[in-house]
Amino acid sequence: MIAVLEKRLQLAGILLIVGLLVEAVCLLWARPLAFILLVGLGGFLGVAGIVLYLYSLVSARDLNAER
Amino acid sequence: MHFPPMLLISLIIVTALLISVFVARPAVTATRGGKILAFVVLFLLPLLCMAMGFTSELERSKSTSFCLSCHIMESHGRSLYVDDPSFLAAAHFQNHRVPADQACYTCHTNYAMFGGFRAKMHGLKHVYVQYLGTPPAPEAIKLYDPYNNRECLHCHEGARSFEEGAVHTADPELLPAVKANKMSCLSSGCHQVVHNVGELGKVKFWKGAQ
Repeated sequence: MIAVLEKRLQLAGILLIVGLLVEAVCLLWARPLAFILLVGLGGFLGVAGIVLYLYSLVSARDLNAER
Repeated sequence: MHFPPMLLISLIIVTALLISVFVARPAVTATRGGKILAFVVLFLLPLLCMAMGFTSELERSKSTSFCLSCHIMESHGRSLYVDDPSFLAAAHFQNHRVPADQACYTCHTNYAMFGGFRAKMHGLKHVYVQYLGTPPAPEAIKLYDPYNNRECLHCHEGARSFEEGAVHTADPELLPAVKANKMSCLSSGCHQVVHNVGELGKVKFWKGAQ
């Protein structure tokens, strides 16, 4: 159970790191394409990371209940 | 709201470093303190970074330099420096009738509901045409809709120079027709020279251009 939870947290963290790095690059690169990348790719990765983190919290409770 | 990019990037780097601790050692979350820290680092801080980054980028997308960063808009940018007051865009830009750092957005947004949103959607379409379509020649660029007087009246309505101007008051029918958008400020023969990028080879430029 812990291994599954930790894997999800790691994946959420990796998604967030990549999303934040995309955001940082876009903030330095002041072009219209950077705006689209920030909103599209950075936003998607960030939201995916946060959702996965929240899901890992909810699923941890489910896994505890199953035990 | 615009945040200094370096402040934002510093916050992003600190957040990414803190996240990397949880990626390297996810077992930290086993303790109560670790769980609270994980909530801050994996939820609150990334949300804050994304909100600040998006707001900052949205604000920057209104800047004149942002609009003119596309090669195709270069001549429109040059038209702001024409040394001739009959060029409407140049006269507004050079005399700061519009904020010089948001000159394009001030006139080309729509002062109705969702105007800013529509302007952004048009911007997305421009990027699409630039990279995946066939961009027109600068002199062939046209507005999506005829220019609405509402955008001019947003600033000029109530201004003495507008309400009491000799030409505007010469005909008592004129101002009501302009305010009702029945007579265009631009295409009725009064202020029809706006960017006219096709004529830039024949005009003088203001020294502010250098």
